[in-house]
Amino acid sequence: MTGGSSRDTPPTRPRFNWRDFFRRAGWLESVGIVGLPVVTVVAALAPWITPFDPQLRVAAAYLPPSAGHWFGTDEIGRDLFSRIILGIRYTWLSGLAIIALTLIVGSLVGLISGLMGGKIDLVIGRIVDLFIVLPSTLIALAFVAALGPGLVNTMIALAIFWWPWYARISRDEIRRLKARPHVEAARMAGVGGPRLLLRYLLPGVVPALLIGASLDVANVIMTLSLMSFLGLGLPAPAPELGAMTSRTLDSLTVHWWLPILPAAIIFLLCLLANLAGDGVRAALRGT
Amino acid sequence: MLAYLAKSIVGAIVVLLMMSFIVFVLQSVIPADPARAIAGPNAPPETVETVRKELGLDDPAVIQYGRFLSRLAHADLGTSVRTRRPVSDDIRQYIPATLELGLASIALGVVLALVMAVLQFLIPGSGGIRLVMVGVGSTPIFLSALLLSYFFWFRFDWLPGAGRLGYRDFAGPTGLNVIDGILLGRPEVSLDALRHLLLPALALALPIGIAVGRSLNGALYEVMSEPYVRTARGKGLSETKVLLRHGLRNAATAPLSMLGLQVRLLFGNLLIVERVFGWPGLGLYTVQAFASADLPAVLGVAIVFGILYILVNTLIEIGQSMADPRINL
Amino acid sequence: MVKHSHRMASSVTEPLLAVKDLSVTLSREGRPSRVIDGITFDMLPGEVVALVGESGSGKTSIGLTLQGLLPREYQPQVGGSIRLAGIELVGAASRTWRSARRRLVRSIPQDPMGALNPTMTIRHQMRESNGGSIEGWLSRTGLPDPDRIADALPHRLSGGQRQRVLIAMAMMARPKLLIADEPTTALDVTVQAQILDLLRALTREQQTAILFVTHDLSVAASLADRVLILYAGRIVEMGRMRDVARKAAHPYSIGLLAARYDLDSDRRRPLLTLPSEHMPFVNLASACAYAQRCPIAQLDCTAIRPSLVVASVHGGAVACLHQEQTAFVSAQRVDAKPWPAPSIQDTAALRLHNVSKTYPTGNRSFWGRQSQPVLRSVSLTIKLGECVALVGESGAGKSTLLRIAAGLVMPEGGTVTRFDKACPQVVFQDPVAALTPWLTIGEQIGERLRGVSLDSDYGRRRVGEAMKLVGLDPVLMDALPAEMSVGQCQRAVLARAVIVPPRLLLCDEPISAMDVSLTATTLNLLSDLRRRLDMAMLFVTHDLAAARIIADRIAVLKDGELVEVADPDAIVAAPQSGYTRSLIAAMPGPQGGGGR
Repeated sequence: MTGGSSRDTPPTRPRFNWRDFFRRAGWLESVGIVGLPVVTVVAALAPWITPFDPQLRVAAAYLPPSAGHWFGTDEIGRDLFSRIILGIRYTWLSGLAIIALTLIVGSLVGLISGLMGGKIDLVIGRIVDLFIVLPSTLIALAFVAALGPGLVNTMIALAIFWWPWYARISRDEIRRLKARPHVEAARMAGVGGPRLLLRYLLPGVVPALLIGASLDVANVIMTLSLMSFLGLGLPAPAPELGAMTSRTLDSLTVHWWLPILPAAIIFLLCLLANLAGDGVRAALRGT
Repeated sequence: MLAYLAKSIVGAIVVLLMMSFIVFVLQSVIPADPARAIAGPNAPPETVETVRKELGLDDPAVIQYGRFLSRLAHADLGTSVRTRRPVSDDIRQYIPATLELGLASIALGVVLALVMAVLQFLIPGSGGIRLVMVGVGSTPIFLSALLLSYFFWFRFDWLPGAGRLGYRDFAGPTGLNVIDGILLGRPEVSLDALRHLLLPALALALPIGIAVGRSLNGALYEVMSEPYVRTARGKGLSETKVLLRHGLRNAATAPLSMLGLQVRLLFGNLLIVERVFGWPGLGLYTVQAFASADLPAVLGVAIVFGILYILVNTLIEIGQSMADPRINL
Repeated sequence: MVKHSHRMASSVTEPLLAVKDLSVTLSREGRPSRVIDGITFDMLPGEVVALVGESGSGKTSIGLTLQGLLPREYQPQVGGSIRLAGIELVGAASRTWRSARRRLVRSIPQDPMGALNPTMTIRHQMRESNGGSIEGWLSRTGLPDPDRIADALPHRLSGGQRQRVLIAMAMMARPKLLIADEPTTALDVTVQAQILDLLRALTREQQTAILFVTHDLSVAASLADRVLILYAGRIVEMGRMRDVARKAAHPYSIGLLAARYDLDSDRRRPLLTLPSEHMPFVNLASACAYAQRCPIAQLDCTAIRPSLVVASVHGGAVACLHQEQTAFVSAQRVDAKPWPAPSIQDTAALRLHNVSKTYPTGNRSFWGRQSQPVLRSVSLTIKLGECVALVGESGAGKSTLLRIAAGLVMPEGGTVTRFDKACPQVVFQDPVAALTPWLTIGEQIGERLRGVSLDSDYGRRRVGEAMKLVGLDPVLMDALPAEMSVGQCQRAVLARAVIVPPRLLLCDEPISAMDVSLTATTLNLLSDLRRRLDMAMLFVTHDLAAARIIADRIAVLKDGELVEVADPDAIVAAPQSGYTRSLIAAMPGPQGGGGR
């Protein structure tokens, strides 16, 4: 606010505490941040917490939502709610797995590229750029079509096109940090390579990666369900959310709950993830 | 400017080559034997051998790739397993519908983004608005398509639920019904085409509008706290003028990138929306190709979409350099 | 409201600007704070009033308030009255404010670099400022080739050129009041003088009043008719510039004046500084804001807020309950012990021989990158225990030379020889950026102790000693940089540099971004440390006066070449090169050309 001259007033203590974190994230977004681990627990425990067996016929077919069956039953008479819970497990856990894998691989590649500089950086940089420029969803689709549908193939196809994103984030951050005075000062203080990396560089890269990853969860979920909608995930009768919607599209007018409810659950997952991502970004901004 | 165009054309060709290579590799990966597929399951081995020789499947990979490239250059994309017609014919038949839908969606999306960003800027948002926007942005495309279809067609019967046109046997020069109707002096056709276009285009435009709008809003927010905006206000300009003249142009780069990203996602979304609304375009064709394991069709569409995508990207980069003359590429 | 009885009653001139009891509250992160606390003053048409204060005094906020441009996100609340040309502005509609900004009040910013829209041509932007011929105004501000400049984009212009454009843009609207917020701090000394002359000339022509906001009393003295001294959002003293400069009435003003240094200051003694470090402002409605630091504070100073009364020493106004005692403040400070002589040996701590360096510019031509020479065959030797100041303007190459000396950059030609095999230590310009945000001060200072961890008693003791040496309370060992003030951060950087004293300490403009009081303190600290620890020092600066105070020798660098190397007093008394002469002439102050 004041010019040129220094700010000689010590600011308030910014030590990390949860209250400040959630305040900066916003109350709405905090719901999302808290929701993520909750969904993860649900997904992990899914096979044990479904009210009915998702694969068996337990009631008459095409029952609308009621007290006994919260989400109604499907064309075979299976409880839709139980199937959806299981579907959450597939979508959520695969999504997390993809993000974790691509995050680790991508950030490592980016780190190496940014630190080494020179030719290695140039080559890796170009590869990353190329991946980002290609229409990845398209190629992933073609990939899976060629190799045959299946959850593993879909995940591989997505992972191949997802990691460059994180490589770019970590590379940009490392390059930015490398040139900052405090790193130079540390080097002049005689700090050696590994210690410099671990104590002086890495902690600066982590916030950007966290922000990127948290914003990305929703994208992965969305893409996974898109692929499964197109029939590229697990084969029937696996209760994949996107596939459940696409298979029952034509019943929209008659048995609306069959296509709409699975899609609505995907919506909820993405909403939580998006809110969480926004919250993390707002809370970590300026770190 | 000329140097830049040349540079981007070269870049585009490189990407195309890469894509074609990937497609080629994918093509050769399928476990099924294309020679047998063409000769038929009951053909004797000698016939399969003859077909194989005709197709040149025994030649080294490099030669096959070369042949593949030259076929591409002649717009020969192979033959569809499902329709048994050349893929390029299929594509030519279905592409106008997709172009029409795509262009309409992008246009609608950009308008939505502008309106949203500017409104949100002039009227500071509360938790409610934020929730609505994040909510709409989190809606998977098939849900929004379903909901739109359900309410506006099924429940209220305001708009048609499927297909492109209520008039049969109408064919215009460009293939874009809205324009053709006007060109051929039959405005009622254009109107009908618009009514059919509205729901699917809206479904596609929503994610574009939200994403680009949020990016634009963020960029505007940053730009409006820059020192030169204070200088502009210091001259006594009205807030609207400051926003339009100084704010928007400088905030354009990031949203344009986001637009490029969204167009990339658009291709995937087209598949779904065309399926839900029965829109006879490339998306629907591709969905059917997936369902029947029609690999040549899928790959052919991938190439065409790839070309379109590169085109869009280049346009966007040109737009960025127009907005910010400092981008001295 | 205090009437200035000394003013000549030649005309019953209605004041152009009448500010009465102005208060402004801003909220940051939900915490409101009163940045301007009951200010009253007026300005006549055509007069130049300097508003002097340090960071946190509220001086920039006043400028923004007078234009109605306080940032919306801070939820500003403005109370009191502002009458500009007879129009009441506080609480006025936006339309009134906009009209006032169009015709009555304009400002020129502190940093010209970001103040012009980067994607719009100059002509376009100036056209928005209604009135007058664009090329005409550009040449009136001394810009050659106005046509080319008008069609250019801002990034093609230098800082000084941009500032002139901004002045033209402001003046062409013929405002009655011009607010100049530190318009020259970001510029070189020679350009500074030109801009000040320009401002003076232009406003004299149009009888524009200037409110000149600054932290630098010397600059204020060269331009202003009257001065207002601001502390913690309150006016503590006001009067005629000449009077206040000669004999101030408020203890704070005395401190400010005393902490100045110029080419005449006594080199042999430590500089006078303000008492104690700047404390966080606790806005007490019923106390004197300066009481915590004031050397003559008494009990009633913490119980009563002093109002402006007539100052007995110069007839202006002062807000102090005990103004008759301020004379003692000046008296107290005269006898500081002179510096002991530094022990300079004959061996060289650093020898630069024919060092040259070029940098590639952005222009890529088909034949590869063009390069620009930054240093041309520079030779300089610094003896052990000696302090050499490297003086030059921006672009002269001083930072590059320092980085070569530090070993951070390799020269293209020439040799660099250091006495000490170990790295020399560097003190950077921005102390906060030189500290890693997520490590404690103690950890960073102790980094240089090889193999000694901070958990051991020995480690903590060594770090504590280093901190005490630079005047930091060892309690701060576990603090993070963000929890400390800028002055404390600079000391921490110094502590890290001297915990294992290097034979050579390199300082890259360590005081350019500081308040006057902090500058004086830092110069004293550096002078003390280098003598105590027997360090040679290379002190890079653009401030010739600071160089003179701290250095045993001064080297003047222009466009990559050393034009003069000599003893400081000799350089000032009898400069050999024309460039040095122009540097001296450009400095604001009594013997400089910038004076009135």
